[in-house]
Amino acid sequence: MTALLELQGLHACYGQVEALHGVDLSVGAGEMVAVLGPNGAGKSTLLRAVMGQVATAGSIRFEGASVAYAPTHRRAALGMVMVPEGRGIFGPMTVDENLSLGGWTQRGCVAAQRGRVLDLFPRLRERLGQLAGSLSGGEQQMLAIGRAMMMQPRLLMLDEPSLGLAPRLAAAILEALGELNRNGLGILLVEQRAPLALRLARRAYVLRLGNVVAQTQPGETLTQDQLGRLYLA
Amino acid sequence: MPEATLLLQFLVTGAGTGCVYGLVAIGFCVIYNASGIVNFAQGSFVMLGGVVTYSLWHALHLPLAVAALGAIIVSVALGVLTDLLVVRPLWHRRATMFVMILATLAVQIVVERLTLIVVGDAPMSLPPILSRGPIHLGPIVLDTQVAFIFAVSLLLVAGLRLFFTRTATGRAMRACSIDRDAAALLGIPVSRLVAVGFALSAAIGAIAGILVTPTQYTAYNLGVPFAISGFIAAILGGFGNPFGAFLGGLMLGITQSLATVAFGAGTRNVFSLAVLLIFLLLRPQGLLGTAKT
Repeated sequence: MTALLELQGLHACYGQVEALHGVDLSVGAGEMVAVLGPNGAGKSTLLRAVMGQVATAGSIRFEGASVAYAPTHRRAALGMVMVPEGRGIFGPMTVDENLSLGGWTQRGCVAAQRGRVLDLFPRLRERLGQLAGSLSGGEQQMLAIGRAMMMQPRLLMLDEPSLGLAPRLAAAILEALGELNRNGLGILLVEQRAPLALRLARRAYVLRLGNVVAQTQPGETLTQDQLGRLYLA
Repeated sequence: MPEATLLLQFLVTGAGTGCVYGLVAIGFCVIYNASGIVNFAQGSFVMLGGVVTYSLWHALHLPLAVAALGAIIVSVALGVLTDLLVVRPLWHRRATMFVMILATLAVQIVVERLTLIVVGDAPMSLPPILSRGPIHLGPIVLDTQVAFIFAVSLLLVAGLRLFFTRTATGRAMRACSIDRDAAALLGIPVSRLVAVGFALSAAIGAIAGILVTPTQYTAYNLGVPFAISGFIAAILGGFGNPFGAFLGGLMLGITQSLATVAFGAGTRNVFSLAVLLIFLLLRPQGLLGTAKT
């Protein structure tokens, strides 16, 4: 069975500086995979590279087909959906407009999908006419994930969805992701809060200075000790 | 009171010119919002609007409306070509904004010189689009062409407002102006929307050029003055906000008109630039713009 996402020997560069040095990673259909690692490990770069927002070399295959040369918007149209660091919300536009922009690739079935998204995050229903920039951090994250779900993703990639949120909100967001995953959505989750991510993800990769330094198998868990060593070593 | 009537008269005339500046300014904003580029070839769209309409009407004896439509099409073609042949290749090479802006200035010069070669340097004018006598509003006389400029400008502004708020493409263009990377992640083809932006501003610029020609004249070298006025208007309005830009244009037109009546025609540019300086010092975010930090 072909993996949903398969990276082989992925390098990524910002100008002259290489930030990823040959990463191998895969996400199976319906699988939730976490990418952990300290600041500056290249976690965000990894997602940007998968979406074609930085210069890359190496293989990026989505559902078996190479997408390494496709522009970002075409990858998104295939169902590779990323919620970027900082959420990428359009602050001066309303919540409703943000959601409908998420339906750009799925025009025709926007209304039904919008209903499902608002069922997942009922808080957004009350805020539809409000400017997205006026939402709280947690609500903005809900909007970002909801907008991503408008695209009917096949693979959802999230860059630190818990960043800047109170622990309880962060847990609620990750809980929602867990539910999406149980319904069969493949998820690639970049997280600094390793315990949160490991509770949900089936497998995890640990990234350090642009290399995968460890990966766990299904069912295997990392102890605090092992984690500490991976982060600090 | 004849003085008050005269003042009002100048206000109305100034507002008419101001509408044209406003349209040119909107053209700047539409491209800037979609791409982050200040397109200094904007003036060439305005110039072509007038010159091509005149040429089609005068040389080919086409009806004025058909000639105007032809001029809009020529300008839109030039706008899209500017994007495809100049802006996009530079974009792919990750050129700096400075380089892109200079490249659009080069386009302006090339178009201006080609126009000079093709149609010569004689000034040309068009008959009023609506041929009937002036409209009397109480003591004020409203030239029909100025009334026509008001009507078309307001329709265009209202239409653009609907386009940016109600259509998927318009909303996507706004999204691009806020965060291009995030828009691309939603599957929005950002570079195609930049092309739409160039086409749209070229059309608006051409319409501005067609509207203004019957009230004065046009020639191959009139693009730059209109671009400068439009650029000032865009800054007054808060660069990137099309409706602010239109208000900025009105303000600039009225200022120039009042300067002319008070101190003579030679001072109008002095006052335009003075208003610009005052805004840059006291309200750099413009009328409707938000402060950038």
